[in-house]
Amino acid sequence: MTSLTLRNLKKSFGSTEVIKGVDLQVHDGEFVVFVGPSGCGKSTLLRMIAGLEDITAGELYIGDRLVNEVQAAQRGVAMVFQSYALYPHLAVKDNMAFGLKVRKVPAEERERRVQDAAASLKLEALLGRYPRELSGGQRQRVAIGRAIVGNPQVFLFDEPLSNLDAELRVHMRSEIAALHKRLGNTMIYVTHDQIEAMTLADRIVVLREGRIEQVGSPRELYERPANLFVAQFIGSPRMNVLPAASVEKSLSARGLDIGSAEGVGMRPEHISVVEAGSGLLRGAVTLREYTGATTLLHVALEGGETALVVHNGQNMPEAGEDVGLEIAREHMHLFDSQGQAIRPLARAG
Amino acid sequence: MADTLTDKTSARPWRAPRLSLRRREAIEAWLFVSPTVAGFLVFFLGPLLAVMYFSLTEWNLLTQEATFVGVKNYVDALSVNPDFWHVLRNSFVFAIGLVPLNMTLALTLALALSRPFRGVVFFRTVFFAPVVTSAVAWAIVWRFLLQGEAGAVNQLLASVGIDGPNWLREPDWAMVAVIVTRVIKMVGLNMILYIAALQAIPRDYEAAARLEGASNWQIFRMVIWPLLAPTTLVIFVITMIGSFKVFDHIYLMTGGGPENGTLVLAFYIYEQGFKFFNVGYASALAMIMFVIVLVLTVIQMTLRRKDMR
Ligand SMILES: Nc1ncnc2c1ncn2[C@@H]1O[C@H](COP(=O)(O)OP(=O)(O)OP(=O)(O)O)[C@@H](O)[C@H]1O
Ligand SMILES: [Mg+2]
Repeated sequence: MTSLTLRNLKKSFGSTEVIKGVDLQVHDGEFVVFVGPSGCGKSTLLRMIAGLEDITAGELYIGDRLVNEVQAAQRGVAMVFQSYALYPHLAVKDNMAFGLKVRKVPAEERERRVQDAAASLKLEALLGRYPRELSGGQRQRVAIGRAIVGNPQVFLFDEPLSNLDAELRVHMRSEIAALHKRLGNTMIYVTHDQIEAMTLADRIVVLREGRIEQVGSPRELYERPANLFVAQFIGSPRMNVLPAASVEKSLSARGLDIGSAEGVGMRPEHISVVEAGSGLLRGAVTLREYTGATTLLHVALEGGETALVVHNGQNMPEAGEDVGLEIAREHMHLFDSQGQAIRPLARAG
Repeated sequence: MADTLTDKTSARPWRAPRLSLRRREAIEAWLFVSPTVAGFLVFFLGPLLAVMYFSLTEWNLLTQEATFVGVKNYVDALSVNPDFWHVLRNSFVFAIGLVPLNMTLALTLALALSRPFRGVVFFRTVFFAPVVTSAVAWAIVWRFLLQGEAGAVNQLLASVGIDGPNWLREPDWAMVAVIVTRVIKMVGLNMILYIAALQAIPRDYEAAARLEGASNWQIFRMVIWPLLAPTTLVIFVITMIGSFKVFDHIYLMTGGGPENGTLVLAFYIYEQGFKFFNVGYASALAMIMFVIVLVLTVIQMTLRRKDMR
């Protein structure tokens, strides 16, 4: 049973509070991803769980055990660092065996466990090499191998793929997913790549300035963001948010009531281009960015705002051409003046 | 590419010499390093060759007469003159006492002062200040503190019931005193080098080791110490060389005494050359010292290279 419970966790460095009260329940075997803008406290929170930063206030349970005062090594967690933190003066094998050695595990068992871990990650051929003789992807794999060898209950990853090139990142991402499936351990993974977050996570935790903005499955966050911040943070390109006034008239003409909403969010991929003069919104294409599978259109709206539209169909409008924009009712997100989501879009009574 | 380059130069009214890019770069490079090379030739290689030559002569500074005597000066030093081996022994005692003490203390201080905490700059300054203090002032103060009965050091020892020796008047204790006072003066330099090296070690190594269950000692022994090895080697070599060349400190603290108890090689060379004007003999001694330092350095470098494998 290795669930984790975070209760009102706080962390201050001197007088600056960095983690401002985090409550979270991580279930046994769950893959949880922390995302958020740079400096929001993802690494700090992860290091608090690991025991590398002490906890200023609140309670942290691993399983049923309160671990606030338990040393890092006794928490049953292993961490994969962004920098990999492989000891440069030790061969791969000794890097992987390091934890077993300091814990005085007998040499034969050490050997066996390193071999097992190496086999499962296809590292056998690299065991005699030094970290400097490895490629980025190989180093990454060794770092994961080192974590596995200790048989931890919980794996922590701090942006493990951010030093790899795009192609390798996709590949390692799938390896980490496979690893989770195979081992079934609880894993907490920090990233600010939202594709990584969406593809790996059972649940995503969106953090901002030391607080949780929303916790949910990737689908929940995408389809029902709890507020403007999450709505614009999840999804790429980011969601268009227009003042309610710009669509209010066209909506009520269709018998839809916008209620108390102040902002209306529409994801670029949900907007379709229709003939000029029709549709919910009108505007003119100012810029077309061809990306291969799709084209990103920048549309200057009548009200003065710019909307992004992902266009992947036929009838590509020219730059400068007037167009109409249409979106299905269920794809509209309404936000109140505080930026909190209101739903659903109601039929006018 | 090459063609366009040459076309351009030949089109100019003044015809530049047709040098390849490589040649031109090489010439520029030599021009840039020439001041250093000149300095090296004039101030290092020149004197070295001169000393090498002097060591083969009997040259009296007063009469300005030099006679070629072959290896006589070396034979004198190594087998005729009884002073030499005594002096050499003193130099080794000084080095063997000073180097480990200095390095251990430097590393300990660096470990304590490499991480920021309130007042860290103050402590670093305190330990570094003696390095930039004048050797003369340093010696005067310590001679004062190390006086027999009345000296502050002995009074301090007396207060805990220890009857201290007359430090600078007894040969063995004088050696201890010059070593310790030298270490206190110079340790700050090595401390700074170690602090720089420690700060260059990524913090993640320590975090990773701690997470895997390593104790502070294990982290030091298995991670920090091996990563410091290149720095340790450099510090070892420069400290060793420095301790073989120590002169001012001996001159000011004991003048080589008592009973030649602190007469070390560099000071002996000075005495022979500038007090007794045996320039040839002094040059031979200097060459011997040069070889000793060279050999020590080469041994260290070789060991280190083996260690890297
Ligand atoms: N040791 C420290 N002392 C003081 N402030 C710190 C310390 N470590 C982190 N912080 C501050 O805490 C905040 C959160 O840092 P943290 O490293 O957790 O951010 P992050 O979300 O991981 O960012 P990134 O995505 O850039 O890695 C930052 O404002 C940072 O400046
Ligand atoms: Mg971080």
